[in-house]
Amino acid sequence: MIAGVDFLRPEWLALMPLATLPLWARGTEASGYPDVGWLPEDRLGRLVGLALRVLSALAIAAVVLALAAPGRPQSLALRTGRGAEVLLLIDRSRSMDERMLPSDWRELSAYDIRHQTQSRGPVKSQAARTLLGEFVARRPDDRFAVSFFSASALHVVPFTQHDEVVQAGITAGGVHRGLSETDVGRALISSVARFENRAYTGSRIILLVSDGGARLDEDTRLAIRAGFERQRVALYWIYLKGFGRPDLEQAGEAGEAIPEVALHRFFETLPTPYRAYQAESPEDLAAAVEDVGRQQNHPLDFEERIPRQDYSRGIIAAALLLVAILLAAGRWQLRGLR
Amino acid sequence: MSATHDFQYRVGARVGGFRPGAHAGLTLGAGDDFVAHASLFARPDPRRIDLRASLRDPLGEWLVRLARQRSHIPVCALIDLSASMGFGTPSRKLDLAADFVAALGRAATAAGDPLSLSAFDDAERPELRLAPSRQPALVAQYAEQLRTAECRSAGHGGLIDALAPLAGRQAQVFLVSDFHRHDAELDTALDLLGRARVTPIVIWSPSETEPPAGDGLLRLRDLENGRLRELWLRPELRRRWRAAVAERRRALDLRFQARGIRAFYMSDPFVGDALTRHFLEGA
Repeated sequence: MIAGVDFLRPEWLALMPLATLPLWARGTEASGYPDVGWLPEDRLGRLVGLALRVLSALAIAAVVLALAAPGRPQSLALRTGRGAEVLLLIDRSRSMDERMLPSDWRELSAYDIRHQTQSRGPVKSQAARTLLGEFVARRPDDRFAVSFFSASALHVVPFTQHDEVVQAGITAGGVHRGLSETDVGRALISSVARFENRAYTGSRIILLVSDGGARLDEDTRLAIRAGFERQRVALYWIYLKGFGRPDLEQAGEAGEAIPEVALHRFFETLPTPYRAYQAESPEDLAAAVEDVGRQQNHPLDFEERIPRQDYSRGIIAAALLLVAILLAAGRWQLRGLR
Repeated sequence: MSATHDFQYRVGARVGGFRPGAHAGLTLGAGDDFVAHASLFARPDPRRIDLRASLRDPLGEWLVRLARQRSHIPVCALIDLSASMGFGTPSRKLDLAADFVAALGRAATAAGDPLSLSAFDDAERPELRLAPSRQPALVAQYAEQLRTAECRSAGHGGLIDALAPLAGRQAQVFLVSDFHRHDAELDTALDLLGRARVTPIVIWSPSETEPPAGDGLLRLRDLENGRLRELWLRPELRRRWRAAVAERRRALDLRFQARGIRAFYMSDPFVGDALTRHFLEGA
């Protein structure tokens, strides 16, 4: 990596001989004297003078070098990570702005629950984002992508291992309020499509965080099933169950009429692994996220593109420092005789 | 201004030549410098008959007093125009030389001596050459020319050419220079001027003999060969600087002493009285 230095504007290097000017043009700053052979030899003065000339030569060289804009060329690095490629698909609908049940809801009376969910519990989307943020932070080896969806999917962050980008993407979900529509089908189709044309380097997961379901028509179901099968993506659904919302495991024919249950049953028919977690309170949500984290831990090979790194900034800083030293040294330079 | 520059020179030895002048001469003639008596027949000048001596003379001859006349001496100044003479602030060393030349013009006029001037650097400078003359205005003009002259070339090779008209002759020669890097030329010149009476006028600017105030880096470029000398001025170096100047002066003095010459050291400003005193002491 050290050998690989390239220049954006190598033609400027032609000015490099200018750097020898301070070594040649010795008399420009000196004041005349009739006969220097007269004067005593001074080794200290000679050293200081030589040092100053070398410093000025270096300063000129640094400026020329910076003009030529050296840098490490763009390169691809093969990295091995453990874990999975996780796509966080987060519901951005308005219902996500509601609150979850408070932690102690089991002790509350039925009457209190109805009122206290409106005021005490944490906001669903907020809690989900906080926990997902921690989840991402705990798994540095995984590659994450972030998408939000309501009427359609918003792909915020492409697959990357850079945590700060992912965290920023997750945080971005908290900007302003949710939208009214929730189209899980479209979001899933476009999310699965994001795995397209990527080398299969480790297990793939879509982590769907949502509080509602949708009945999907036959075409959408087919498309989703085909997509999951082709891309071999596992689906984890963290269902944020609000107060009074249906239970996914509700049995019987009646369940088919409820969107969430219908969606759950459809997911169970998918050819790839599927797990659903019902989270009513923040603790449930945390447990669900924990569980997903445990599930996936396989080695993962991928190539990362390392962008060109420009060194000219540092070199300019060095030149500035040299010039500053020279200016400061000028303070001790005597201007001529008398 | 000129009052402080004015000086008078004296020629130590008796000068030859029959033209009357201000200096004690060797030639017998009209003067009050008694030498001997001679017979009136040998020197038929009845105006000089010495009655007393004639009466005392055992042979009874008429004796005439013989005296030496006072004679003139050609005066010449050779002025160094090499690059180092352009040094010095506010007045260049060449300006000091011009002060000296102007004063010399007045002194020579006062003494009635013909004055010739010439300047040299690497070669003789023909445009700055004044043939022997007794006209003070010409000398004053010459001095003004010196003030505007350029000191451009390094070297003193022109010294020999400039003094060629004086070689082997009796004269009072002023060698006006800072005597930096005069080596072979100076010895040759002094050899050629064997019969002349040489007074070196050593012009050193205070800014070259005295290190500047304040500590720090001083960069000096030699005016003649362009070499660079970098000094970190500090008290210890100041001491060495002054010691070097003193050493240089001593070496120069020794060199002149070997030929019985005393140099006059001139600084800024030129003080005519000091030069007069120099002549009175050295005679």
